[in-house]
This record gives sequence, structure tokens and C-alpha cells, in this order.
Amino acid sequence: MELMDKLEILADAAKYDASCASSGAPKRTSEGKDGIGATNGMGICHSYTPDGRCVSLLKILLTNFCVYDCQYCVNRRTSNVPRARFSVDEVVKLTVDFYLRNYIDGLFLSSGIIQSSDYTMEQLVAIARQLREVHHFRGYIHLKTIPDADPALIAAAGKYADRLSVNIELPTEGSIERLAPEKNVHTIKLAMGSIRRKLDEKAEEPRSPTFAPAGQSTQMIVGADASDDKTILSTAQTLYGSYKLKRVYYSAFSPIPQSPGTVPLAPPPMQREHRLYQADFLMRGYGFQAGELLPAAGNLALDIDPKLAWALSHREHFPLDLNMAEESMIARVPGIGLRNAKRLVELRRLRRIRYADLTRLRCSMKKIAPFIVTADYRPAADTTASEVLRRSMAEHSPRQLDLWAELQAA
Amino acid sequence: MSGSGAAATVAAGRPVLVHSFDEWRTAARDLLGHHVPPHAVQWISQKDGGDLFAHAEEPQGAPAVKRGSPTVRISRKLMDMLQTAACCRVPNRWAFLYLVLWRWQQGEHDVISPADEDGAKLTSMVKAVKREEHDMHAYIRFRERHEQAGPPRFVAWFEPGHDVLPQVAQHFAARMGRVTWMIATPEASVMWDGTTLHSTGPLMRGPEDIDDAGEALWLTYYRSIFNPARLNAELMHGHIPSRFWKNLPEGAIVPAMVTQAAAGARKVGQTRSVGERGGTVIPIAPDKAQPQRDTPSTLDACRRCELWQDATQAVPGVGPETAAIMLVGEQPGDQEDLAGEPFVGPAGQLLARAMQDAQVERGAIYLTNAVKHFKWEPRGKRRMHKTPAQREVEACSYWLDSELAQVQPKVIVALGSTALKAVTGNPHATLKDVLGKPFMHQGRWIVTVYHPSYILRVPGEDMKAQAFEVMVAGLREARQLGL
Repeated sequence: MELMDKLEILADAAKYDASCASSGAPKRTSEGKDGIGATNGMGICHSYTPDGRCVSLLKILLTNFCVYDCQYCVNRRTSNVPRARFSVDEVVKLTVDFYLRNYIDGLFLSSGIIQSSDYTMEQLVAIARQLREVHHFRGYIHLKTIPDADPALIAAAGKYADRLSVNIELPTEGSIERLAPEKNVHTIKLAMGSIRRKLDEKAEEPRSPTFAPAGQSTQMIVGADASDDKTILSTAQTLYGSYKLKRVYYSAFSPIPQSPGTVPLAPPPMQREHRLYQADFLMRGYGFQAGELLPAAGNLALDIDPKLAWALSHREHFPLDLNMAEESMIARVPGIGLRNAKRLVELRRLRRIRYADLTRLRCSMKKIAPFIVTADYRPAADTTASEVLRRSMAEHSPRQLDLWAELQAA
Repeated sequence: MSGSGAAATVAAGRPVLVHSFDEWRTAARDLLGHHVPPHAVQWISQKDGGDLFAHAEEPQGAPAVKRGSPTVRISRKLMDMLQTAACCRVPNRWAFLYLVLWRWQQGEHDVISPADEDGAKLTSMVKAVKREEHDMHAYIRFRERHEQAGPPRFVAWFEPGHDVLPQVAQHFAARMGRVTWMIATPEASVMWDGTTLHSTGPLMRGPEDIDDAGEALWLTYYRSIFNPARLNAELMHGHIPSRFWKNLPEGAIVPAMVTQAAAGARKVGQTRSVGERGGTVIPIAPDKAQPQRDTPSTLDACRRCELWQDATQAVPGVGPETAAIMLVGEQPGDQEDLAGEPFVGPAGQLLARAMQDAQVERGAIYLTNAVKHFKWEPRGKRRMHKTPAQREVEACSYWLDSELAQVQPKVIVALGSTALKAVTGNPHATLKDVLGKPFMHQGRWIVTVYHPSYILRVPGEDMKAQAFEVMVAGLREARQLGL
């Protein structure tokens, strides 16, 4: 099989992994050195595909042969897909060639399970080792970790990779048992735990050999089972706390060819995935707890963003006086982000904040107006019912992209 | 350099001519020194045809103080903003930068805040330049030339909207190592010979002897990594401004991909060309696919309460099954939950010190917890220990009882109140009644001491030392009783 054919099959097979981030690596340079590659910690998206997702890494599977039978996965053993397998050299060559042409920032390598977990993991590590040691490649490497693999192999992976990830796949143990019969939530947690322990050891002993400097992440599939957003966010919160993950990625389930009867035929609304990312960002950046965003079972609102939803149900905190309030509370006002909250507090040291300042900071005035007090402004009707405010602020296309899906289903 | 020239023109009241940020900086310093207000200066500039790297040797940042010129004190942040904004191709950029500098000098430091009118303009100029730099890092595409053609191996054409080529060239020098390359733009070109950057003046698009094999692979990749079920072309165009598409190889295939996806291929995530091929089912029996795993102990599978959900694993006791002394703590903590062993975290280390002081050999006793799963609540990005509820202690007594039955210790050391309640089965037992007073319960001695994490967090060195002594005394007592 030609390299081109393999690339076609194995890139197609890898696109269900949402992560393509290349940020968080330590600064590296190749100026005046053998080898290629540099990182500056920021990560660069080199292109975007028509699904709006960024291309930052060469994201491929080593092989889509897989002995597992995960129901949501196009590569499950019972799936009738064309199969292919790269050699170690082919992956290395593709990475270097793409990197030199400035298509990518590095490699994100995953694989179907072939023979055994250890064998598969060994192959992934061999590619990363060859890139680093033979080609002196200093770009970004993200390796998908096989949870059942020997901890020694995970340690070796962390030596070469910037980021390691273990996919939790589904938010509850019951769903994993049902939809991914060969996977096991216990071993997934143990693998994440062993990565966290290695990261902790490295943090305590800065001169020890490097270990996954960009940390670890995971992915959850949304809409392949019946779990609601409350369950998903609680699971994410548990994972963040327990394993110090850098990111949890949410991947809306995409219907797959000859889909088994155990998974839905239709995808969840893309807006649901978007809301989960927004809520996730509020948990990571703003200190929101999952329970604040969703106090009871159910899903996030599709028509308004989760911060606005929270503010509308907590009118007791508002209107907030921007000349008095703490930065963390200012950041909780809908329409004011972390950066603007910081800017407002800086400006406040020089003079009083006025309404026009917010316009110049490009805050969303429609959102912000009912929630703030400034030196020259107080909302006229701060007794307006939350329901009324919500209707005036709802986004008009809550079910983004669904029209086509319905036409096709018809 | 033109610094002294600028000063001379100021004196003569003529327009100030500048080509670069460094020239502007020198001129502006002189003008400020002569208290010339912004409206009294006319700045003129020509297109920068000079050497891109002429000023690269000069240290960036604080202005070099020239004899006779007044010192202008500005913040590092303002300096950075001015320098970056100077790359922004807007009319009257030099006059605007001088206005900002003038206002700062007058004490109006909010001139750099985006909430100020000039500050907003300055911020947007900085943002536009940074954005352009970023876009150039992202959307330059090198094409490879035949090796026989000699250096540069890789060539690229780009049309930057602002004057960012020198900074961007540095980025690629770091990225490409000793590989040679050239970037051509409508205004100037730059070449990297593996060790040094050279300005080569305006050049047209690179020669025709280009090897396109890499580009064909890239297009295949680009086509295959797209998920037609998620088509959202608007979002894609929102990310890459339209002026870049014509120079991106993938730009040519985007319209067809969008049309195909919109016309039916959206039912599934698979790319059409892959879906149309014949496939292979992997013939392997389900039981053969099961990975080899250690059989979980029944404790691992325990669902007597909800605590297993947020924990990594159940933490069983450790120690010889013939131990005369059993130490019972409250529950595993953050470290224990990850390691699967009791008393490996900070509290465990304190306990080890106390055991050493009491001459109790760690290997000779059985260490366990009243509750086997870690109970916690999120606090920021950490797990904060949370005291287990009575029902959780009761649910877990099944496991503690079976450990007691197995080990049959003569003495139990209860660490803290939860352990005391668990080993006595009395939910109302309190620490202060029995602290330091061993008592018999169901034919065994029970010695009660503080929990080591209490000792870790009790305020004041005196209190700490005192509590630690109570623990050492209790352990010593237990050793005596266990003999």
C-alpha cells in the first residue's frame, strides 16, 4: 500500500480525537543546532478544516487494526473499514516533512490496539524515540497512552512526549462497560494516576529527567450514551482534581458507517459540545464548580451561555459595582472576561470606571448592562425578571447546523 | 544614523523624516527634550527599503542615552507597545506614537489603557501586529526545491499586512535549525543560510524547480482529517482571513470539500474516499480481545457506598497477617488514593517518625483505614479531604471487620475520631474521653491517639509538639500492650 493511501485511511481514522493542541511545551530552539523544531509554549494552529477545527499537529493512528470492540469507534474490530498500518519510519518521515513545510507544529500519535497493550505502546514510544534521538526533532509530540500498558512504557513515553493522554471515553462506569467492553474505568484511572505521580515527582525534583512537560489530557465522547451534562461536568471536575489534567476534551459523537445498534443514529447538537467547552473553561479559568453551573441533573441551556445562565439565576450578586468588587467577582459578570476584569482593576487604580470604558474594552454591552454599576451608570430596571432578560439575550440559532441533518434524515 | 539629523531638523522647524522605529525613537527623544508638542511636529516617512537587519545588533528596550539628549523615562510595557505598534501599517503612525509618548510624559499614564481613546488605538495597533506575526507563523507554506538546485532548500511567498518580516524570520531561524530557506514578500525578502539571516531585497515568487510530493501528501491529510459530519465552513473562514487562502495549497480544495459535505456526505464522519473502499473485519473472538488484567479483589469492586465513584481505587490494609498491633486511620488521602497503599502521604510520614520515636517497627504492624476509598471535594484544582459520613463508615465496617478477623491483633491503635467510632462501633464515641487511656473492647486493647493529619494542621509549634508527644506515648503504650 502506498504511503498516500495509508495516510488517507489513518488520518480519517484519527479525526474523532478532538485534541489538536500544541501548547504548554517548554521553550526549545534549533537555531545553530542539528535537527529541527522549536516550541515557544504557545502552540500554533496552521490551518482549519471545513469543520472549523484547527490543524496544529499531524494527527494520525499508527494503525487502525484494533482487537477492541468499542461501539462508538469506527475502528472497532467488527467494523468493516479499510485497514492500514504505518511503519515507524513512515510516521517519522511524514512528521519531519510536514514540519519543514510549516504545515504542523508536531505529531499527535494514537493507535488501535494490536496484539497487546504493551506491544502497541512500545511501537508508539519507538516513533517518539526515533524522532527525538535520531532526528533531534524539537517540535511537539503528543502520545495517546494505552491504559493497560506497563507503567515502565508510560514512563518511557513521558520521556519523549510533551503531552500524554488517556481517554476516559465515557462519563460513567456503566457506559464504559456497555459500550467499550474491553476497556475498564479502573485501569483508565490507574493510568491517569500513574502519569500524575510521575508529574508530581518531576515537579518536586526539577533536575530529574523530563516527563510530559505539557501535562496530561483526556477526552470524553458526548452523546453516545444517555449521560447528561451534569454527569459529564462532574466527571470532568473529578478528573481535573484527581489527575491534574491540563484539559478535558469533549467530542460530540459522530454517526459512523454501519453503526451498531448500541449507539444513537444521530449526533447530539454541536451546540451542546460548545456549551460544555464554555462550562469547562469556567471551571478551569474562573473557579466555577460544576455544581454551580448545573445545580440539578440535566443539560446546559443551548440558547444562552453558561455564565449568563448562572448570573440570571444569581441576581442577588448583581448589579455589581465595578469600582468596588473583587476581580474574581468582576470576571463572573456576563460579557466581561478574565483579561478585561484584570484591566478594569488596573484602570481602577488610576481613576473611577465609567460606562464608556466598557464599550472601549469591547465588552458585550447588551449582556453586561443589567449586571453592573459604574461611576455614571446604574441599570434602570434592575428588577427586570430573569426570564425576561433571558429572552432578550438568547442566541437566535440554538440548534446550530441541525437543518441539514434533518433534511438528510428525511 | 539619522539621530543627530532629526535633532537638527527640530531646531529648524522642518518636518521630521524617519524610516524605522530606531530613528523615530531618537527623534522623539530630542523633540520631547525640546518640549515640542505633538501638533507642532510633522512626521514624514518613506517606504522602508533598507536592510531589515541593520538594527538587529542594537539592544532592544531602554533607549541608549546619547550625550546631550534628555533622559525620557518610560515603562518597559509602554516601550514594548510603541515598538510593536511601530510595525503597524497605518497612516501617520509616527505622529500617533509621538502623541502617546507626549501624553505619557505629561503624566497621563492611562494613555496605555485600552479604556483610553488613544490607548484603545494603540492597543488595537499592537494587536494587529501581533496577529499578523501569528498569521505569518501559521500560514507561511514552504515548498521544497530539488537538492541539486542548491540553497535555499525551502522557499515561501507571503504577503504580510504589517512590517513583521524581521521578527518572523527569527521564528523560522529557530524552527528550521541548519536547513536553509527563503521567504519572499512584496516589500522585501529574507534568506537563512543555516547560520545567518540575510536581506535579499524584493524578489518574485520562488523558482519553478519545486518538488511537490510533500504538498500532495498534505492535501490528502487535510482532506482526510476533516469530519464531514461536523461541517461548519463559517467557523473555518472566521479563523483564516480570506486574503490568506490564495497562497495556502489547501485553499484550492476547500470549496469542493464543503460542497461534497453539504450534499449528503454529512450523514457520517467518514471521508467519502475511505468509505467507498472495501473493509476488513478483524476476526478475533471477544474473549481473546480481553486484555490480561489482575483479577480485581472484591474490595476493588465494592459498591457499598458512593465513595468509589470519585476515587481512583480502594486502598486495602498492609502488614503481616500475624501482627499483634493494628493501626487504624480514617481514610486514604490524595497520595494514598494514587498509590493504592495506606499512609504514604505527608500524614504517613509523620506517623513513621512517631513510630520511630516510640520504637515501634513499621514492618511488624498492620496498617489500615476505617474507610477504604478517598472522600474529597474539589477546592480549586486540588482535592480537599472530606470527613466520611457515619453511613460510609458503617458501610465500610464490613471490610474492617474482615481484616480484624483475619489478623486478630491484640491491640488496635485508633488514629482520631473516625477510627475510634469505627473500631468501637459507637457513633457517639469522642476522642477526648479516651485519649491516652487504653481500654478493653471485645477482648482487645484499644489505644486512641490523634490522627497524624490533625497534628500536621494544628496551629502553633507548642500544640504540634504536644499532640505529637501524645501520639508517641500512645504508640509506646500499644507496643507494651502488644508484647
